[in-house]
Amino acid sequence: MIFECRDLERALAKPELLAEAHKHLRECEDCRDQYRLWNEISATAKQLHCEWESPDLWRRIQRSIEAEQKTPQRWRTQWNVWAVTAAAAALLVFAIVRWSPAAKFGSLPEKKVALTADHGQDFLTEQALKEVQKNEDAYLRSIQELSRLAQPKLQDPTPIFVSYQEKLLMLDSAILETQANVSQNQFNLRLQMELASLYKQKRQTLQDVLTNGQQN
Amino acid sequence: MGLALPFGTTLPDNPTDAELVERCRRGDLRAFEKVYDLHAARMKSLAFHLLASRGDAEDAVQETFLKVHRAVGAFEENSALATWIYRILINCCYDTLRKRQRLAEKPISREMAADNKLTMKMALERALLALNERHRLVFLMFEVEGLKHSEIAGVLEVPEGTSRAWLCEAKRALKQMLTGPRT
Repeated sequence: MIFECRDLERALAKPELLAEAHKHLRECEDCRDQYRLWNEISATAKQLHCEWESPDLWRRIQRSIEAEQKTPQRWRTQWNVWAVTAAAAALLVFAIVRWSPAAKFGSLPEKKVALTADHGQDFLTEQALKEVQKNEDAYLRSIQELSRLAQPKLQDPTPIFVSYQEKLLMLDSAILETQANVSQNQFNLRLQMELASLYKQKRQTLQDVLTNGQQN
Repeated sequence: MGLALPFGTTLPDNPTDAELVERCRRGDLRAFEKVYDLHAARMKSLAFHLLASRGDAEDAVQETFLKVHRAVGAFEENSALATWIYRILINCCYDTLRKRQRLAEKPISREMAADNKLTMKMALERALLALNERHRLVFLMFEVEGLKHSEIAGVLEVPEGTSRAWLCEAKRALKQMLTGPRT
């Protein structure tokens, strides 16, 4: 290989070309200056690491974690009270509707998600939650398969695939966060829908990667 | 007020990731504190470079530990704990930046070093702000915080070669900004 000045930066990123680069550096003063600056950037970067005392930070984190650890117990207590109230209310509504002459049971879909607006929030029933979890498993399997197929394309350094990679990174982060929230409150319909929407976006993005991969 | 711990065994001096994760899952605050001791300094520094504010950097670290606490049950042990934590931290920092944009806050003026003899350092700090996000992240993690390419690849979920290539592109761009393009 005939080593030229323009090869220097590329060679510095590839250990196998370093010997050639050093040979060239012995002969080329201009490149030596460039190399000096290259190393100076690295040396100066070390000085950018900044440390400062944060005597209260761990205590703040500890307090927040402790507060979160207590939350589920309180939530469970509130949930029990709410569940009894909701069951009583549902029984009352059922009785009124059952004996009302205008009642039309046939029109109610069997597996419709049960909702209540009592507390300004939508909740899933146990049955609906099982359905959601079953569908989520199927979605995850299809996403895993798509991820496997898209992986070679995602390693492509061209801008379009790099931007897909970044989008997937953001989606994974949002999925992680929403999964954590869902694990705290599995019956929250809004959270479950948010999670489903994120899965959908991820699946669509992976499909786009594959479609673009075929076109290129 | 400390929580009563569900077990009495002490934490080893150099616990493995698996030991730390297991204890974190069981709500052992000493394990979280160990993770904090191991990583907080570098986490604060990285967050500071992304957010340009020490207060916001500390908030991001706090938020990261809360998210770790919430999601440690779902942590997949085929990746390193540090890699996972840094990924969460970076996303927390981006959340903060997005919130700032939504609130249309004025960009925070960077808390620069007071020593005006350090011209190269200041020039590099300014040049870093002009890099694109992925180049800046790789440069900060490798050159400033000393993470290995294998770790950065894990954080950003890219191949190790991509991390190396992005670092090289980052340094090339910085060099151009510091000296002008090479003829």
